[in-house]
Amino acid sequence: MLNKYFMLRFYKGWQIFIQNPLGKTGVIILGVFMVMAIASFFVPLIDPMYDPMTGIDPDIKLSTGPSLTHWLGTDNVGRDILAQLLEGAKVAFVVGLSAAFFSIVIGTLVGMIAGYAGGLLDASLMRLADIIMVLPSLVILLILASLFGQFNIWIIVFIIAIMRWPAVSRVIRSQTLSLKHRPFIEASRVAGASHVRIIFRHIMPNVLPLAFLYMTFRVTAAILVEAALSFLGFGDPSQVSWGMMLQWVWKSGHMFQAPYWLIPPGLCISLLTLAFYMLGRAMDEVLDPRLRKEGQSG
Amino acid sequence: MSLLSVENLSIGYQTKKGMLKAVDHIRFDLEEGDSLGFVGESGCGKTTIGMALMGLLPENAEILEGRIRFQGRDLVLLTEPQWRQVRGAKVAMIFQSAMNALNPVFPVDEQIKEAIVTHQPDISDADLSERMKQLFDLVDIPLARMKNYPHEYSGGMKQRAVIAMALACDPALIIADEPTTALDVIVQDQILREIKMVQQKTRTGLIFISHDIAVVASVCERICVMYAGQIVETGTRKEVFKSPRHPYTQTLLGSYLSLDNLKDIKVPDMKESPDQLTDTNECRFSGACPSCDRKCAGRSPEWIEISPTHQAFCCNPGLIRRGHGKN
Amino acid sequence: MEKTDTKNRLLVELKQVTKAYAPKKRWFVRSSQPVLALNSIDLGIEHGEVFGLVGQSGSGKTTTGRLLAKLESPTAGEIYFDKTPISQLKGVRLKAYRSRVQMIFQDPYQSLNPHLSIAETVLEPLMVQGIGTRDTRMEKVVHTLDLVGLSPGEAFCHRYPHQLSGGQRQRVAIARAIVLEPQFIVADEPTSMLDATIAIQLFKLLQEIKETFGMTFLFITHNLAAARYMCDRIAVIHEGHIVEVNTAENIIRHPEHPYTKKLIKVQPGFKYGR
Repeated sequence: MLNKYFMLRFYKGWQIFIQNPLGKTGVIILGVFMVMAIASFFVPLIDPMYDPMTGIDPDIKLSTGPSLTHWLGTDNVGRDILAQLLEGAKVAFVVGLSAAFFSIVIGTLVGMIAGYAGGLLDASLMRLADIIMVLPSLVILLILASLFGQFNIWIIVFIIAIMRWPAVSRVIRSQTLSLKHRPFIEASRVAGASHVRIIFRHIMPNVLPLAFLYMTFRVTAAILVEAALSFLGFGDPSQVSWGMMLQWVWKSGHMFQAPYWLIPPGLCISLLTLAFYMLGRAMDEVLDPRLRKEGQSG
Repeated sequence: MSLLSVENLSIGYQTKKGMLKAVDHIRFDLEEGDSLGFVGESGCGKTTIGMALMGLLPENAEILEGRIRFQGRDLVLLTEPQWRQVRGAKVAMIFQSAMNALNPVFPVDEQIKEAIVTHQPDISDADLSERMKQLFDLVDIPLARMKNYPHEYSGGMKQRAVIAMALACDPALIIADEPTTALDVIVQDQILREIKMVQQKTRTGLIFISHDIAVVASVCERICVMYAGQIVETGTRKEVFKSPRHPYTQTLLGSYLSLDNLKDIKVPDMKESPDQLTDTNECRFSGACPSCDRKCAGRSPEWIEISPTHQAFCCNPGLIRRGHGKN
Repeated sequence: MEKTDTKNRLLVELKQVTKAYAPKKRWFVRSSQPVLALNSIDLGIEHGEVFGLVGQSGSGKTTTGRLLAKLESPTAGEIYFDKTPISQLKGVRLKAYRSRVQMIFQDPYQSLNPHLSIAETVLEPLMVQGIGTRDTRMEKVVHTLDLVGLSPGEAFCHRYPHQLSGGQRQRVAIARAIVLEPQFIVADEPTSMLDATIAIQLFKLLQEIKETFGMTFLFITHNLAAARYMCDRIAVIHEGHIVEVNTAENIIRHPEHPYTKKLIKVQPGFKYGR
């Protein structure tokens, strides 16, 4: 599956991608957040008071502004905001990427099977996709949350994945439909290859680039949904996330008193989703040569 | 003075690996009312020549040198607005796929009328409908079918309509690029007759491009055989087909399957297509040439005259003058 | 040759085969007539011959090939392969049929998966049919590549389709078709996308393969001259009907059906001979 041709295409795509100003900016922003997420593992090791959840500065009992020991200040119980921000970056990556990954896996599988099989199976899978697609995912999440109380972070990931696969499966399905009657698929059939083999050996490598593209857009959506849930108080209480931080600002009544506490998580959410969006747009240009500027082609 | 005179034309495509010379120092003349066929295999540059004559070269193509003199002006120097005056009015093109050349949402006659009105805005309604009748008569489409939509036409009729559109403004030169490749042999036969008949009736200059030597032979009086961006042999139809002198022309004719030359079929050896990225004065066909010998190495091919109308581009004058060479 | 004699030697036989493409069913729209791609045709292909099927686009010639490769099923009638009806084949028996019948497609730019290396492409039939071990399979692939003129075979194994020319790709497709050493190959316009000098080399290759393995070929083409060059017998197909079947020589020299005559008349040739 990940063969040499794939790597070659990936390499060529990367070259076009990195020439694109959107792609370049996106990659740089992502890199910064990546460093932040990695840093979150080391910060609590410096001093236990930098633990984002339990680390409390013994000298501080109230929210304070930036200082030398707490570069971005502390929250109302004396926890370090920078440490929380770094932890939030990690959580955003985990939630965004895994939710996107699962929705892509489901969407790609369903799309390939529906497109390849056709007939009744295709029709029923696509109707199911239609139904899920028109459901307002945030409202559903809220209803579920109010029924079951606060969620574990992985349940949130799972629900986002379940709600978000249909759009992917539609695109993959139409791609599969156009591949299905290509002579190299038919040649494989004539050789006696099974349906499973045709789907995974011949169709999948050809739809994967598109799946990756959709994954970047899904990441954006997943991060936003998680932030919204946490802000509304349905997040995982044992996890610091940017949405959770916003909720704490709100709940503790510091909304208009502590800009050093309010602005960083808000800015991070916007920047990270923007970065993934830019990434997706740049990838779109790699995959669709018609969008590419003249002069780069050939 | 000839209608069209191409001098020393070179066209390159900018590629990732460097400049690819698709057309390499081409020269030819076309007299008024004459027909010239370009024949060669894919990638030999024949289509690029057609595009250059229409001013329709793609973005990454560049005319490296040479001149295209047409009715006294050099087409290479034209700007895009100037091209719009020439294209369609003085030089017209018949494309390979008639389906794409016709807009499916307008009736055929509307589209041809538009082609006329674009270049003759002052034409009166009476003159216009007179001209339309002439055109449809010329290409044998019943006048009753004039107002039909393209999808109501058969493949052959669509191609006729495209020919009518090309003729709409009475151009001095028509370029036909593989006009029958997408058609069945029976329809192809009709269309080829049509093109030839119309060309002779209107005395329009015709440049006919095809990969199929027999098709070119059935339409054109003079023929240029192309290989790797260069013309390797040029002559009248009779000269090229009856006594081909260049080894490539001989290969091409020898491997052409027709109903009556099965016994003469010669299967050429496998060959790589030549490298057109590097500039060389040496013979591009030498790698695949059945007659190439040590004497060819290091020499540059030159034009060798067999008759005033028949020339071949080769390093081996003796071979060319002798005729069939080793074969 | 006696008529009864030929009957016994038939490898492929089509009896009253009809293929109709039904228009898509839609609500509230009266469905139009189904399109008959093949209208009850009878055809017999003998062991070891190259049988040509000549017709224009839309004549049903490609449909015939696809029916034989079991990419589609006939609407009516039956196809016999080695005296066995093939329409009901399923599972293991279908797989066995597939190892005996292979197909070469028209467009070498579409018939190879761009993601698979040449070795993987040619290996696939052996793998899905479960023939040989890992090593013997690879040996077979290299040998087959050599055979189709892609030599040395080892050098081509790790290349990808986009690194090959059209002619070389079609050779890979031929290698894939013959690697199982099938009894019957359907070649659907194998050279119509290629230049004449390349096409003639492929014809020679197919003839050599036929000599080596003694396969039976169905050669589908729109080019009467190519069919005459390649085939022992030719059938002319027109609008879903077989209008004439005869030896290649006779069909050109003494055409009987007006459509065949017309085809011969419009075949481009050189006015001035050679």
